[in-house]
Amino acid sequence: MVANVSPPQAVTRARSPQLTLNQRRYLAAALLLAPVILLRLFTTLYPFLQTIVLSFHEYNPAFTPRTYVGLENFEKIAADIVVKSSIEFTLIFVFGSTFFQLFFGVMVASLLNSRLRIPNFIRTINLIPWAIPMVVAAVGWRWMFDGNYGWIVDLLRRIGLQINWLTDPASARVAILIVAIWKSTPFVAVSILAGLQGVPEELYEAAKVDGANAWQSFWGITLPLIMPLMVTIGMFMLVWQLAVFDLPYTMTAGGPGFATSVLAYQVQQKVVTLNYGYASAISVIMFLIVGLIGALGLAAFRRVQVSM
Amino acid sequence: MRAFLRQHNGRITTYVGFIIFAIIVLFPFYFIVISSVTPRYQIFQIPPRYFPETLTLENYPAMMNAIPFWQFYLNSLIFALGSTITSVLFSAMAGYALARLKFPGSNLVFLGLILSIALPQVALLVPIREIYNALHLNNTYFGLIVLMSSLVTPFTVWIMVSFVHQIPVEIEEAALIDGATIWQTILRIVLPTMRPAIATMLIINFIISWNELLYPLIFATRNDTKTLSVGLISLGREAMGTSRPWDLMSAMSVLTIVPVIVLVIFGQRAIVSGLTRGAVK
Repeated sequence: MVANVSPPQAVTRARSPQLTLNQRRYLAAALLLAPVILLRLFTTLYPFLQTIVLSFHEYNPAFTPRTYVGLENFEKIAADIVVKSSIEFTLIFVFGSTFFQLFFGVMVASLLNSRLRIPNFIRTINLIPWAIPMVVAAVGWRWMFDGNYGWIVDLLRRIGLQINWLTDPASARVAILIVAIWKSTPFVAVSILAGLQGVPEELYEAAKVDGANAWQSFWGITLPLIMPLMVTIGMFMLVWQLAVFDLPYTMTAGGPGFATSVLAYQVQQKVVTLNYGYASAISVIMFLIVGLIGALGLAAFRRVQVSM
Repeated sequence: MRAFLRQHNGRITTYVGFIIFAIIVLFPFYFIVISSVTPRYQIFQIPPRYFPETLTLENYPAMMNAIPFWQFYLNSLIFALGSTITSVLFSAMAGYALARLKFPGSNLVFLGLILSIALPQVALLVPIREIYNALHLNNTYFGLIVLMSSLVTPFTVWIMVSFVHQIPVEIEEAALIDGATIWQTILRIVLPTMRPAIATMLIINFIISWNELLYPLIFATRNDTKTLSVGLISLGREAMGTSRPWDLMSAMSVLTIVPVIVLVIFGQRAIVSGLTRGAVK
């Protein structure tokens, strides 16, 4: 990797007006960045733009050459109850699971931030749900929710609750949310924990002297201080869970009916059945939701910073 | 909450919290592991048993007879290791360039990379599939590794940039003044100091790649490139009749999560430092 740049070399980093030094630096930067840029152009930027183009086309590679159809795909979406239901559940899934992940994340992080000696074992098991494949988690939970042999069903039956987790649409949606919350709360908790550790101890001491109780110091000190972090993590989780396809795919295949189908699952289904134009149009809807989340995040950020 | 617990001398509350937390986290694992050593006829029993009458290991060889398990294992290893090494190497290079070798537009490149994280992976699938059909990259390790390493690259670059920002620039400047070239400085000074970030991201990216479903599902349709995630789904689909072969699937699940559990146990600190660096910055 040592290039043929002949020594003695002057101070390359100095902000000198000499162009050759800067040029050398730019060349190094270009070479170092080239692989990442090429990868991202090839697998992200081009596909992004091409998806938008294809969303205005009727395109199935098995049959005709693609034809421009304007907004026809989007009109089709407006009349497609499966996709419309998927949009609805996507929003429920993304916002619902993020909310509970943040909620439980704060609880778990506070627990891990306890002054007591925490067994290392607890920190380790906290990471395990995050670290296992979603496929394994989804298959395992699917079986625990099974109407005949499932442990959860059996345990609830013993206390008098009869829930048909995977055959009742509303319950199936709850089941999917439970798995998503179980799987990603640890990741959220670890991130929040880092924020909690940054809150200066003196603030709590001062609040205590002033007679604040635990809840008051949590609402008055901890929460405002970690709010910007919560917004960041929340944004990240919203965007990330919009892309979750493996959970409904593995656990319910979008069922019963299409109750637990999300947009990501619909796109995958349309891609596999070579419905490329329609898949692209649904993808564009997903881009729009990303934009919506981004706008919400910026608004939340402004609010958090003003209130501080 | 911390103050709350302290004020109420909440030792007990905290430990009860730990126990509840541990049960919720570990319950599914207990279920999967126990199922994998339960004889088939006892798994399909109503009401279910929480501990089998007899333990057996016969589910494991039965699972390996049903699918080419070790082939999938090897494929997963090649896929995950290849994607991990590629992404970390390229991201370390890019991260250094973006943190130190400022050039016109370097902030824009960084911003573009970070924003590209927000594009859902599945929503870019159609054009990638066209490219892969045209270039015959389906069912190749190369094609899979290109996609996977690209997917984890933006986050890895982000971590690298924030890490390089923390290294004092003076050492590099001194080396340059002493007449070292940029490349010598990178190899002899920057690379060794970046070792902790590189190790962390090797672990994290391996776990993410090992767990990946979508890319192998779409682009690895033959047994010679299928990974374990896809294999687990095939195992479920190839079941006779309507019920899924949970006896075989639980055995496969256990063997699938062994590598990541080992990494979590030994790399816990490194993983946490990597995951939180991005969020807190």
